[in-house]
Amino acid sequence: MTTELQLVAAAKAGSADAFADLARRYRERLLRFLLTRCASLADAEDVLQDTLINAYRYIHSYDPRWRFSTWLYRIAIRNASKLRGPQLVDVASMGELRDEESDPLLQCIADSEKENLWVVARRLLNDDVFAAMWLRYAEDMSVNDISTTLDRSVSWTKVNLMRGRRALDDELNDTVGKSEAYG
Amino acid sequence: MDKLARQLREDADRINVTVSDELDHRIEASLRAVTPERARPAMPVARPPLFWWASTITGVAAALAVIAIVNWQTSEQQTATPVQVADLEPPIDLNLEAAMLTAPLEEELEALQSDLKKAEEKVRRDIGL
Repeated sequence: MTTELQLVAAAKAGSADAFADLARRYRERLLRFLLTRCASLADAEDVLQDTLINAYRYIHSYDPRWRFSTWLYRIAIRNASKLRGPQLVDVASMGELRDEESDPLLQCIADSEKENLWVVARRLLNDDVFAAMWLRYAEDMSVNDISTTLDRSVSWTKVNLMRGRRALDDELNDTVGKSEAYG
Repeated sequence: MDKLARQLREDADRINVTVSDELDHRIEASLRAVTPERARPAMPVARPPLFWWASTITGVAAALAVIAIVNWQTSEQQTATPVQVADLEPPIDLNLEAAMLTAPLEEELEALQSDLKKAEEKVRRDIGL
């Protein structure tokens, strides 16, 4: 099996097939992440396409000292933020403003009795803190990689991961407390 | 992994996303249409021959100027009158007796020897000799 570094080297040499192989490894993960930031599935798909095209176009600037996923997410976040304006609403307000039928994230979540924590996170946290939490807990990225991806300091990343966790913990404890009180 | 982290991971997995065939074709077609940019090699800067002559002449002139200034300063230093060190009187009288320097040390030595003798006597008394 070809390793990621070999594929990157081949893509740098101009192999579109190698890059397509790389893209296949990441596109679902990227789309899932973009779905939490975009107002519609179509927007998320457009941003995914732009991200992969930009990554291929500027593959020569990729530094192998970084993880490829870090670089890719950095491009994705930059492309998603270009959608700011009428096409994209604030992530924190999406949970409140959008109903279930029009929210692409809610459409993609399997039915469950419990509310998906990422929907709660999107309601409670701002864009960057949400992204940091996603990269840490959904993508298993290190704090250093997250700070590089978000273009933030390591200390900012650590502090905001802790704040994000605390906000979710408080919300979960409130929910459990209420359900116990009424149950 | 703690409870919250585990739940966040599970909930992320519960977001079902698939890349449709249409999107897959679109991405592949876009990638084939794109030509990756090449890293631009550092281009050597083309200079006219006059530039090299001018810089050589400037360098030589600067070197000559430095040599001339250094030599001029050296000859100026040689004409200065030397200071008569022997004529200067020492500001502090350093004629001290050796005893003035060693007396405190001798007193200290005597005190230490006396202490040692007292300690020896005490030990002898304690062990009954």
